[in-house]
Amino acid sequence: MVSGYAAGAAAALVFGTGALARWASALGAIVGAAAGVALAAGAWVWGAAFVLEAPGLLGPAGGMAFSLDGLGAVFLGLTSLIAAPSALYGAGYSRTWDGRPALRQVGFMLNVFLLTMSLVPLADGALTFLLFWEGMSLSSYFLVLTEADGPDVVEAGQWYLAMTQIGLACLLGAFLLIQSGGPGSFASLRAAAAELPAGTRDAVFALALVGFGGKAGLIPLHVWLPRAHPAAPSHVSALMSGAMIKMGVYGLLRVGLDVLGGGPAWWGALVIGLGALSAVLGILYALTEDDIKRLLAYSSVENIGVIMLGVGAAFLFKSLGMPQAGALALAAALFHAVNHAAFKGLLFLGAGAVLHATGTRDMNHLGGLIRGMPWTAALFLVGSVAIAGLPPLNGFVSEWLLFQSLLPGIGVPSPLVAVLMVLALGMLALTAGLAAACFVKAFGITFLAIPRSPEALAAHEAAWSMRVGMVALAGACLALSVGASVILPLLSAVAVPLVGPAAPAPVFNVGVTLRTPEGFARMSPLLVAAGLGLVVLATWLAVRLFGSRRPLRVGETWGCGRVVQTPRMEYTSTAFAEPLRRIFAAFYRPSEDVSIDFHPESRYFVQSISYRSAIEPWFERYLYAPVIARVRLWSERVLALQSGSVHAYLTYLVAVLVLLLGWLAVTGRR
Amino acid sequence: MSPQLVSQLSVGGSTLVLLAGLMMLWRRGVNAHIGAFTAQSVALAATTAMVGWFTGDWQLWAVAVLLLLVKAVGIPILLKRMARRFGTERELEPYVNTATSLLLGGLLVLLAYVVTGPLVSVSQLPTRTGMPLAMGLVFVSLLVIISRKKALTQVLGFLMLENGIALLAVLGTHGIPIIVEIGVFLDVALGFMVMQVFVYQIHETFESIDVEQLNRLRE
Amino acid sequence: MSVWLLAPLQASVALLLAPGLIGAIRWMKARLQNRRGSPVWQPYLELRKLFAKEVVVSSNASWLFHAAPFIVFGSTVTVTLLVPLLAVPLPFAGAGDLLVVVYLLLLGTFFLALAGLDPGSPFGGMGASREMTVAALAEPTMALAIFALAWGAGSTDLGQIASRILTIPSEALAPGHVLAFAAIFLVTLAETGRLPVDNPGTHLELTMIHEAMVLEYSGRYLALIEWAASLKLLVFFTLLANLFVPWGVAAALTPGALLWSVLTLALKLLALGGAVAVVETHIAKLRLFRVPELLSASFILALLAVTASFLLR
Repeated sequence: MVSGYAAGAAAALVFGTGALARWASALGAIVGAAAGVALAAGAWVWGAAFVLEAPGLLGPAGGMAFSLDGLGAVFLGLTSLIAAPSALYGAGYSRTWDGRPALRQVGFMLNVFLLTMSLVPLADGALTFLLFWEGMSLSSYFLVLTEADGPDVVEAGQWYLAMTQIGLACLLGAFLLIQSGGPGSFASLRAAAAELPAGTRDAVFALALVGFGGKAGLIPLHVWLPRAHPAAPSHVSALMSGAMIKMGVYGLLRVGLDVLGGGPAWWGALVIGLGALSAVLGILYALTEDDIKRLLAYSSVENIGVIMLGVGAAFLFKSLGMPQAGALALAAALFHAVNHAAFKGLLFLGAGAVLHATGTRDMNHLGGLIRGMPWTAALFLVGSVAIAGLPPLNGFVSEWLLFQSLLPGIGVPSPLVAVLMVLALGMLALTAGLAAACFVKAFGITFLAIPRSPEALAAHEAAWSMRVGMVALAGACLALSVGASVILPLLSAVAVPLVGPAAPAPVFNVGVTLRTPEGFARMSPLLVAAGLGLVVLATWLAVRLFGSRRPLRVGETWGCGRVVQTPRMEYTSTAFAEPLRRIFAAFYRPSEDVSIDFHPESRYFVQSISYRSAIEPWFERYLYAPVIARVRLWSERVLALQSGSVHAYLTYLVAVLVLLLGWLAVTGRR
Repeated sequence: MSPQLVSQLSVGGSTLVLLAGLMMLWRRGVNAHIGAFTAQSVALAATTAMVGWFTGDWQLWAVAVLLLLVKAVGIPILLKRMARRFGTERELEPYVNTATSLLLGGLLVLLAYVVTGPLVSVSQLPTRTGMPLAMGLVFVSLLVIISRKKALTQVLGFLMLENGIALLAVLGTHGIPIIVEIGVFLDVALGFMVMQVFVYQIHETFESIDVEQLNRLRE
Repeated sequence: MSVWLLAPLQASVALLLAPGLIGAIRWMKARLQNRRGSPVWQPYLELRKLFAKEVVVSSNASWLFHAAPFIVFGSTVTVTLLVPLLAVPLPFAGAGDLLVVVYLLLLGTFFLALAGLDPGSPFGGMGASREMTVAALAEPTMALAIFALAWGAGSTDLGQIASRILTIPSEALAPGHVLAFAAIFLVTLAETGRLPVDNPGTHLELTMIHEAMVLEYSGRYLALIEWAASLKLLVFFTLLANLFVPWGVAAALTPGALLWSVLTLALKLLALGGAVAVVETHIAKLRLFRVPELLSASFILALLAVTASFLLR
């Protein structure tokens, strides 16, 4: 796997900036991804353990160690699953940078990114973990900055870099708190964590939550997501949204459940609360977006919220001594993570195809693309149905599981927990409904009706490599849904040891039906899909055979007897979200600005009307702006030290040297 | 009458009482509010009578009849008279809009459930199952008093609060001694008369019963 | 009679009864409003007419426009296979529970909304936007009401929820149940486009929600969509009837029991239809921005249903 990615990286640098470079680097990435899948499958399905000690690498700092257990295998498999289609897609997509140095950068950094990201779940020690974590962040930072001449891209990069470094600091702090000094392997960390006092454990958890939550995009640390994901090239956005933010979930599970071994109930409650909040706020922000990639980025925030809901429920159930319920919740969350990778990857790739074909991301300028880009449209539709959580695709199965996993929480004796579960259920249901509305808008406005701009009219279908990549992911969506009863027992086998030592595995029929523990509910995604397909086919046949023989007539859109239909008359993306914007006005606080230019001759005639609307950026304004202002203030004070005079700097050096020598002399060390 | 039936009926009665309270948050218009209050008092009287039948305590029957006469008949007549006089002005938007108030009401009911959790687990009475809902009514009526602008609606909120406390007493301790009950009724009646005078004065001064107008007194 | 024969039988009964239900509601409304009204079998005649008529399709429409009626109709018919329409040991009990039913119906709404956007007419867009808003806001109520029922019955499985009341009749009047019934009744009005959320008989496009989405459809496509809409109403009524008042549902699959089941179902549907007719005659349509208030009220009812269910455990 390592060699595959390394070869891809090298190829990108070596082969210059042409088609050969594109394909070579993509091929390297695909080989690496395939190896990753094989490795993950081996560890996960057949229990083949993988352990590699490399004390030689970075010896003085403690050496690096790798091992792959079930949990890591899930995330490695997830990454590799979308790496191959994205790389294939990238081969065609990167044609925009043919002949420019950016091509080299994209190819190289993509392979480095995939490599570091795949090695994070393999890491078996704090040093290794943090090294590859930082590598992942940095390589994705460079990828985000690929088109550095765009106006928002640099700002996006700045936010992203700042958030990742803050996260790194928190993680460093967390690991140091557990065990300062000594080998950093996870085994020794586990032993050290078992002896920590409760207060320190809480602090470690809090730091880990901030660090990993920031990477995952949990509210209120999500602000980098809607900036960075749209700015990056589309296949990179797919990877970031599909795989990288899941590493945040992985980290939280690894540190919280594995190393720390679970904690008091408030940990789980906090994660559930943040998850539910992220889910609802994420989709609410997504609904009002006109930029298709920002919409998808906010939708990722929503889905991370949903995953964290399951993770938090697992923590909570573990602390309440209900290991079966916890295992079910965790299995549901992991399954949703895998599903999200598949359909969000697909959606980002589709959005990238649209961007590539039309040059714009603004949905108010798109439309009618289903005629020029039929493949992309159909595949984007599959992704939309999946992410809206509708049967028969995979999004519905994982949401069904999450619903079922939250149910046992209502029976808990503590009224606070019961109330929390009820609220979480309501918010999950609201999110599901709003997600459906959001993706009707995303697909409908972008692909259906009449093109709203000449670019949309002239759109052409994506290159075949892009299409193959998308088809692969769409197939994955269907396979994950239909094969859920095969995948879920494996996931629950991963979940059970994390949540409780002596829990019998939740019973999932390896067959056609999913059965939750204690027989509370049953569902068969395969039967539902098959039934739906059969019924639709039967209807079509019946209408064909018994219906009228009169041919179809094509005419102008009726629209209540209007004579002509222009693109200006269609519903826009802003208009579609208008009812929801009004209903949730207390949250959005929309500011509207309507300016009308009247005809100079008479106020009864209007020359132009412009409408501008903005929603209140709560987190940027009230959480981040004061912090940034404070940091600026301190930076300016420190600026006084930078006088620019060489003598001043030399003085600083000598002074520090003298102080150090003096201190050594005083404390008597050599 | 088995304890299970009493439990179910307590929850049923308390639910009706609470729903009438939530109606105050949902419907606009003073007449709808008065109707909700009347329905609530009837439900409260019925629940009290039911508990009286279960315990065989004649005092509870007396309390139920008193409730019916005073709160379901007497006070609504007075309120309707006041409404005819003052309530004919246009709708006033409350401080919190309807959908949000309803959601807040729901959250308050959940809070009441958490707050009365210890009480419910300690009590042995079969009527304890309705107590969280009675507590919820107390919170909801406080929300009504805070968030509505018309003085009449605030008076109704106060009366509902009293209903909620009475329900809590009936369900939690199977009623309080009749002397105390009559004393409480007297308090409420007097308080109501004082409030009537106030509303009349407000209307005289400002030509409306919008409580926000009281801000003008500062000038 | 084999269990596998039950499935097509259920679907056929539902398909046959659905237009009649709509006709009955219209007739009752007419009589309440002192009109003669069209006969109860009018919707059947309308369907026959529509299937024979020519289909006119907008030049802006894509393949989605042609496919959507089939998907909507198919998903609704699939739902009729999952609800306890005639008998309680359901043929596909392991395939889907109450959550599957709700989300299959949402699938139909999803595609109908897309089909409304497809021809590019602003009315279609308006209908799609409003319909998705109402559907999204009705979801939390449905979820909580489902869990109130499931909590009491110990499962989200539809057959089990229905049989629980058959075994413990006093449960039918439990406060949690009654509240859940009220909540689901309000959601039914919202999801199936009845007053006070949406007027099914309006001619004014700006007041339409469901009708606006199907404005461009004609001929057999419109027939399929209208039939699917009446089926959706039948499904919701069946849930209200057979989950809350399940007496009459066949326990054994004998012809006598099934016939009795059909008769009692028809009676319950008429009763619910009468309630809807009375409500529609009594209340005016709400402004779109008052609909969230109605849905919040139904959410509170569902919330109280959940708390009542586990207050009494």
